[in-house]
Amino acid sequence: MMIAATTLPKPRGHMAAIYDLASDPGDVAAGFGPAYPEPFDLELAYTEQMRASWHLPPAERELAALESLFPAMLQPIGEADCFAGRIKPPLAGFWPELVGLGYCCHAEDIRNLARTFGIGGEKRARIASMLDFWRGKTTREKVRAAYPRDVEELLASDNWTTEPGIAFPLYRLGGTNLDYAKLLRLGIGGLRAEIREKTLPKNPALAAGLERALDLYARCLRHYADQAEVLVAHGGGTDDEPRLARIASSCRAAAGGGPADSFHGAIQMAWVYALISGTWNYGRADVWAGPYLAADLDAGCLSEEGATAWLCSWWRLMKAYENHYNNRVFIGGRGRPDERAADRFALLAIEATRRVRLNQPQLSLRFYEGQNPELMRRALDAIGDGCTFPMLYNDDANIPAVAAAFALPEGEAVHYMPFGCGEYTLEHRGIASPNAVINLLQALVATIGGGIDPPTGTPAGIPTKSAGGYASFDDLWAEYARVVEAHVAATAKQQKIEYDIAAAEAPFLFLTLLQDDCIARGQAVLEGGSRYLGATLETYGNTNAADALTAIRSLVFEERRYSLAEVAAGCARNFAGAETLRRDLLGAPKYGNDDPDADAMAARVHDHVCRATRVQAARAGLDFYLVVIINNWANTVLGAHTGASPDGRLAGQPMANANNPAPGNDRQGATAFLNSLVKLDPAIHAGAVQNMKFSRELFSRERPKLEALLAGYWSAGGTQAMITVVSRADLESAMREPDQWGHLMVRVGGFSIRFVDLPRAAQHEILGRTLHE
Amino acid sequence: MAAARGIVFDIQRAAMHDGPGIRTTVFLKGCPLRCLWCHNPESQSPSPQRGKSGKIYGREMTVDEVMATVVRDRRYYATSGGGLTVSGGEPTVQFAFCLALLGAARREAIHTCLDTCGCAPWEKFERLLPLVDLFLYDYKATGDDDCRRLTGAGDDLVKDNLARICAAGGRVRLRCPIIPGVNDSPGHFAAIAALAKKPPQIEAIDLMPYHDIGRAKYDDLGRPRPGLATHIPDGRETRSWLAALAAAGCRNARIG
Repeated sequence: MMIAATTLPKPRGHMAAIYDLASDPGDVAAGFGPAYPEPFDLELAYTEQMRASWHLPPAERELAALESLFPAMLQPIGEADCFAGRIKPPLAGFWPELVGLGYCCHAEDIRNLARTFGIGGEKRARIASMLDFWRGKTTREKVRAAYPRDVEELLASDNWTTEPGIAFPLYRLGGTNLDYAKLLRLGIGGLRAEIREKTLPKNPALAAGLERALDLYARCLRHYADQAEVLVAHGGGTDDEPRLARIASSCRAAAGGGPADSFHGAIQMAWVYALISGTWNYGRADVWAGPYLAADLDAGCLSEEGATAWLCSWWRLMKAYENHYNNRVFIGGRGRPDERAADRFALLAIEATRRVRLNQPQLSLRFYEGQNPELMRRALDAIGDGCTFPMLYNDDANIPAVAAAFALPEGEAVHYMPFGCGEYTLEHRGIASPNAVINLLQALVATIGGGIDPPTGTPAGIPTKSAGGYASFDDLWAEYARVVEAHVAATAKQQKIEYDIAAAEAPFLFLTLLQDDCIARGQAVLEGGSRYLGATLETYGNTNAADALTAIRSLVFEERRYSLAEVAAGCARNFAGAETLRRDLLGAPKYGNDDPDADAMAARVHDHVCRATRVQAARAGLDFYLVVIINNWANTVLGAHTGASPDGRLAGQPMANANNPAPGNDRQGATAFLNSLVKLDPAIHAGAVQNMKFSRELFSRERPKLEALLAGYWSAGGTQAMITVVSRADLESAMREPDQWGHLMVRVGGFSIRFVDLPRAAQHEILGRTLHE
Repeated sequence: MAAARGIVFDIQRAAMHDGPGIRTTVFLKGCPLRCLWCHNPESQSPSPQRGKSGKIYGREMTVDEVMATVVRDRRYYATSGGGLTVSGGEPTVQFAFCLALLGAARREAIHTCLDTCGCAPWEKFERLLPLVDLFLYDYKATGDDDCRRLTGAGDDLVKDNLARICAAGGRVRLRCPIIPGVNDSPGHFAAIAALAKKPPQIEAIDLMPYHDIGRAKYDDLGRPRPGLATHIPDGRETRSWLAALAAAGCRNARIG
């Protein structure tokens, strides 16, 4: 039961794509030349600007950076785009998280690409000089340089994708969801008035910076208005004219300072703002765009079909934005002021997702008892169609859980907003950036290994007893807990340092403009402006650590069939010559089967890390610091550098994804699986993801049973579900790797059976059938 | 009663096809029939067996142990109209255990299905009737000779019990395994259609197309695979069965 998506930084290799000029030539409008200047021209120009501006106060320096990047970074309007707004970020620049935190320069990528392009002579020298300038000046370097000794020791490496380790820092200001409703309601003019009234008296430098940021936003809008008008002039009279003319008029109107006056104008305004702000989660689009949609539909100047086509185009622009780990668009849920208008948007959004068949946006549906049932019905139709989206979030469970975890009244918790891979923040009220990962399985393996990473023999974390030194399970648990707590404390300190350094570097003007309560307080987003400044810690290996502890408790400390030293030695050898040990470890109860012992251990591991993290908020000086258990490929990446473990997992194998059982370990059917999931308390963390796969039959002729299954899960407190339909590719994988797919049930003749138990011929028969469904 | 013990060879949770809603199906060992197409050969003997693979088929459980699992999915029974299905084998072979298990479910207010071949003395069904909300009743062959040849027992008990269950007000869903070339005759379909015209007790007909996935279990049990001259039907063929039933006036059949 797995699917991938993440808010983790993208692998750096993707940056090469920025210079792949031939990647989508069809998207580049005729008459506007290449989508990008010569390699590194933008980085060089940006760096020259920063050389000249580095001495300036933070807001002015940030503006110098932004003004050199925009509109230079903006790409031409694509041939079928219904909205203007494409970007290709350079390898050096300024962002909250787009290619890094704050002032970034990806020196290694630039060096490698310069070699690939065969750049020589004077330009090569300029590039070398650029890299020289940035050395020690990037925000990331400044953050690391500020670590006190304990943080430096426990978070020794930044290379979480390539090195073993228990915990790693991440550098970004992630997951902001800006107040687009305010942007559309006030327009540039209204925001200016508010800044002059509220910010100026308290913080004139910030007020001036914010106004100049608005000037830049207007300039970007005019850039696209001009472009669209030129295109109309070139191709005047074609079918394309209304599309381009509408872009021109929406951009022109927004640049003029007024509020949004149409559905098209609303999305256009928000989209350009999102791109230049460097954010990529769009919050409750049904709330901020729904009323404009409803007004246009009711006035008869827009059809549902026309609006859906626009949404399809917007969805494609998100795809072009290339950040499939983010791009969250939310629909549904409690706390929407104009619920009827929002529902109209929501239904069209689901339809757009069905039509474009892309992995983006990550459309997500919040729902509650009593919501218009059509939203859930259409959502399940879309999922049954193979869309994967929308992901489902149960407000009736989440709102009280968020209120408890974040220690907020429900009136504030109603604004909870999952972003990225499933971390929760509070829409335009909170910052909940995930800036560290911790691998609980690695923590356990190191604890058993005496503070050593077995595969490499290098020290891991803090020194511990050796395997032979644990007299009881409680003794082992206490040491594991000590290792985890030490690392969690280090990540919390690191988090605060990262925020403080970033705040000293820049006010992050585009975030400050649309994040509560920055304008009113006259403070930048990280220096006290944001209503809540908290953070999240990504935990991985939770399930595997729990299953390993369950196996150890029963085989070592209860049945005494093995000593812990034997288990540790077997793991260190990746079970070579210890196949019986591995079989016995695999045979121990596993989380995901509604087994009381295995699930209680999973809950114990969960409770421990969640509470150990939560208490760090006050110590670190954050409004909240909470665990997230999310859905991405980090379970695979971290697993690749984690040795064999006492749950029977081999060295280098992936760990379980998010809150799920380890692959293939849930074998008691969907109800047992769901019962296990709801045993992990959601009121002590900031989001966990549950992936589930169901057969196509459940979405078609057995649809009422699917709905009943989900209804049972929601009523039991299930918070979230990411549902996919079993595909042909899944069945093929199951034939290749049966041990990973023990949970996959199929219908054969008169009954259901585990797919992996079928003879080959029957598997082929089902494969053929799936192809035709 | 709760201490009664039975030999259970599987408990399948989240069963979607053994009666209405989402169910837990408990499979009891032991069957008086020897159907030529049987896909659960491990269900036939009433005792636990060890396969060549080392796999154990059947373990002794108390009613309480079984119910401890059954009640865990109560919320899903409630949302789906599901419950417990007691299947086999032929569950009435372990009559005392079957009775106790259904009684325990009834005390827990959990909906009950009994998946039966009908081949048991009426007295057993008479005692089970008040505890069974829906009978999943097999109808496998038409005519005493065919029945004896294909299942190893004549058809009198099956027919009598079905009639008496209906007469006593029991609710029934017929389950009809259809084996191409073996029991897919016009006469058999006509007989099924005739039964289906006895509403309201017989509320639906499930046609269960033949499959051969039990073969590996014969191998594991060291038994010869059934030498049946048949094939796995495709969708076109199964649709033709529904058409045959519809032509005979039966409209409440579906492929199960």
